[in-house]
Amino acid sequence: MSTVRASVRWIRADLRARRGQTLLTVLAVAGIVTALITSATLLEDGTNPWRALFAESRGAHVWIHTGEAPDRVALSRLPGVVGVAGPYRSAPVTLTLNGKKSPVALRETPETPPGIAVPLIRDGRALRTGDADGVIVERSFARALGLRVGGPFPVTALNGATHPLVVVGLADSAEQGFYPEWTPGLAWTLPSVLARVEPALGRSESVTGLRLADGEATLPAVHGAVTLLDGQIQRMSTWREVRASMELDNRLLGLLLALFGVTGLVAAALAIANAVGGRVLTQTRDIATLKSLGYTRGQVFGVLMAEHGALGLIGIAVGLGCGQVAASFVLDGVPLSPLSPVPLLAIAGGTAAVVTVAVALPAWRGGRTPPVPAAPAAPPRGHLSRLARLALLARLPPALVLGSRDAFTRRLPAFLSIFGVAIPMMMITIALGCWSTLDDFLRHPERVGQAAALVVRPAKLPADEAARIARADPDVLVAHPGAEVPALEPEQTRSVLARATGTSAEPYPFSVVEGRMFAARGEAVAGQGLLDLLDVSIGDRVRLTVGGTPLIVHLVGRVVEPDHDGEVLSLGIDSLPAKDAVPPQFYSLVLRPGADPAAVRARLLAASGEALEVQRVVNPAERLAVIRVVIVALIGVLALLGLANLLTAGALGLRDHAFDLAVLKAMGLTPRQVAATLVTGTGLLIVLGVVAGIAAGASVVGGLIDLQGHTSGVGAGIGRTPSALTLTVAALVAVGASLLVTLIPAGRAARAQVPVTAR
Amino acid sequence: MTPSAVETPPVVDTVNLVKIYQDGGVPVPAVRGVDLRVAPGEFVAIMGPSGSGKSTLVHMLGGLEARTSGEIWLDGRRADTLGESAWALLRRRKIGFVFQFFNLVANMTVADNVELPALLAGASAREARRRREHLLGELGLADRADAAPSQLAGGEQQRVALARALANEPSLLLADEPTGNLDSRNTRDVLRLLAEVHREGQTVIMVTHDARVASLADRVVSLLDGQIVDDGGAGLVRRRPRGGAGGVVELRG
Repeated sequence: MSTVRASVRWIRADLRARRGQTLLTVLAVAGIVTALITSATLLEDGTNPWRALFAESRGAHVWIHTGEAPDRVALSRLPGVVGVAGPYRSAPVTLTLNGKKSPVALRETPETPPGIAVPLIRDGRALRTGDADGVIVERSFARALGLRVGGPFPVTALNGATHPLVVVGLADSAEQGFYPEWTPGLAWTLPSVLARVEPALGRSESVTGLRLADGEATLPAVHGAVTLLDGQIQRMSTWREVRASMELDNRLLGLLLALFGVTGLVAAALAIANAVGGRVLTQTRDIATLKSLGYTRGQVFGVLMAEHGALGLIGIAVGLGCGQVAASFVLDGVPLSPLSPVPLLAIAGGTAAVVTVAVALPAWRGGRTPPVPAAPAAPPRGHLSRLARLALLARLPPALVLGSRDAFTRRLPAFLSIFGVAIPMMMITIALGCWSTLDDFLRHPERVGQAAALVVRPAKLPADEAARIARADPDVLVAHPGAEVPALEPEQTRSVLARATGTSAEPYPFSVVEGRMFAARGEAVAGQGLLDLLDVSIGDRVRLTVGGTPLIVHLVGRVVEPDHDGEVLSLGIDSLPAKDAVPPQFYSLVLRPGADPAAVRARLLAASGEALEVQRVVNPAERLAVIRVVIVALIGVLALLGLANLLTAGALGLRDHAFDLAVLKAMGLTPRQVAATLVTGTGLLIVLGVVAGIAAGASVVGGLIDLQGHTSGVGAGIGRTPSALTLTVAALVAVGASLLVTLIPAGRAARAQVPVTAR
Repeated sequence: MTPSAVETPPVVDTVNLVKIYQDGGVPVPAVRGVDLRVAPGEFVAIMGPSGSGKSTLVHMLGGLEARTSGEIWLDGRRADTLGESAWALLRRRKIGFVFQFFNLVANMTVADNVELPALLAGASAREARRRREHLLGELGLADRADAAPSQLAGGEQQRVALARALANEPSLLLADEPTGNLDSRNTRDVLRLLAEVHREGQTVIMVTHDARVASLADRVVSLLDGQIVDDGGAGLVRRRPRGGAGGVVELRG
């Protein structure tokens, strides 16, 4: 206890003497913790609004879309079913607002809120008896379209009649994903209103929700429903798909951050161990003095642990705060439930443990410092290293020879310094790889299966006329007819997307990475997600159900598929039955290289007199733009780590050779040459670390991104290694900046009077 | 029984003290059977050429190095069997060190350097400051309290080191070549201070290879090859200083 006051004085003095390094340590730890917290927040369901929405609305686990209303009582007797929502009638209508048309599923809902799958009113009010034209709109849909309570909601039914409805409320629902990832948009209205808008029962569908006792066990209920409704099922979705659609992008980002956070933690541990170890070495004499004053071995250990461990703890505390801010920034306004205490404690505790171990080893060594202050702490004297002899043979300038000798006088710290630079550099290379992959997405959308820049839907025009207008445009290279239909997978438990674009003879330029393109009727290619879902491989035959008719296709290849988790089957439009394919629902337009999609869109709209619906294809990289911000931030943190290592290496080099400086000067080296010697000693380690780090990073980055692509369903084949130019520039910047940083203390030491030099 | 000067045990008593270094498996004896007895209030100079083992001897007396064999008694208690931590605790209370290269903690101010031992021994911050102000005042450094050690001249640094060594009123002051790194004027200053603290009853053991410096002491012990070859002035210990023994008793109490 008595040592506390003395130790506090010592710690305070030491921290004051090395403010820069202190700040670096705190920032580095804080950065790592921020990355980990953000990643955990993104990976946890907490950021996924689905969980909260589902609980609050008492959501249904399975939604079944059928042509006619199913038997509610029979459904409620299915195994595991505790409640049934609906059946509700739902009619496809088109919302026309400011010249823009959006498909909407107009759903009936009773006046009294149902017990299961209640739309959660967030704004406005619930529907009341006598609301002759009131609708409640799903909130993400309303936000995307700029709909407000009290605003108009003019819808056109399939019979062409337009009904001027009015928005009375906005509601959240756990029934489907957010717009526009999940279409069509959803709106609820009273049964009487729906009957007025769409009087024909045949043009609407029936939607029924099943709430299960155990959400994990959807299969028995699903199979029961399939058997019961035999052939009537048009589409089916489970809560897993809804949840997945709400979390897709966050998850990728979370994984990226987790990868960087964990590797960063290793790098930070190394940097801290290096820093503390270097500090202990440079302070050997002061520690010996403390011991001669009456510090015990354990107390010295304790003081070092307290000082350096406290820096780590401050870093962790700062990181915990920043993590919350960063997560909400990344999520960009999506309501964020705070990270639950278990992962929070795990991250804080884990980081604290890593920091403690990293500090404990050098601190223990410091505790064993012999108490005789005069004990020499000079580096092991050795012969010229092989490297130095080589430098000598090559008749390099003396400063380089001496510097390369100095670099390895202490082997372990030298290798730690190399690793300390190499690991951040490796991660930076991986970050650059992610960056260049995103660039590649944007620059070559055809490589991720987005050869078409525009999609034209005929809307009011006949399909042939739409095709004619599209093909007439000078910048349109090809217009591939296409249709998208939901297909039930063989077990009929969930839907996948069957996308027919182009014909077998003239296929759409999908990006085939395995196998070959389909070339005949009955052949198809699929995304990784579909292959995984159905557990099939290329060469297999797959039987799907499209609109009640079986569709058997031969899988001949795998494509890069950025949409719908890769659970997409792509085939020629002639492989679909005529009822689904004629007339084509849309045309995918492949433009001439260099053509501006916006200009083409404007021309097509003008040529058709606004009758066509022309949409730009959204590149997945645009949704992932926030990753770039994250990458820049991560590179910043990693650079901090590298810098921390650099300062340690520099300080050690200076300390080891402080007395040599006098000799060097006596031998006739100018201050500049002395400085060059010191810089070479550290610079050699940096160059080795940078080169090793870049080599390691470049060799794993492609594989890592492809691995992520594989697990996310997009499929391998998207990973890009950063270009040689980028890597060279990164290496030069890293080495250059490091040398500049080393140059300052080296120059100061070279000019200083020798006895003043720190030892 | 009241403690009297006759019954007061010697501050330092070594019996056949031996230190053998191992240098690559080859035993190198540094101290070979030293019997040294230092009475309270004595000022002993240990002289000898380089490599005669005088620094090793003093380091062993302060517990900075472990003895190979033999016994060390401090204030009548056996100390050579103590562990490293027990030695450290003993140093806090009873031993002050002054080194050739001053060994001030570079990052701390002069004031902090001097207050450190007092704080370490459990004094309150106020008490430590009082002692520091007193000591620095005595040594003529009151105005340099907030300076960094590197801003001080060598002689000043050594005076600060002396103040630090005396901060806990140790029963034994060990000085290892305290003037080895100083010019003659600073040497004179430091020696004058040593003589003063000795006059106030401080027991001092000083290692030096400078005969003029050694001449200041009551008694000069000459070492050669790790053995005492001359213990001149053992009979000189006449002028027992006032209060010396009392001070020691007080410290022990």
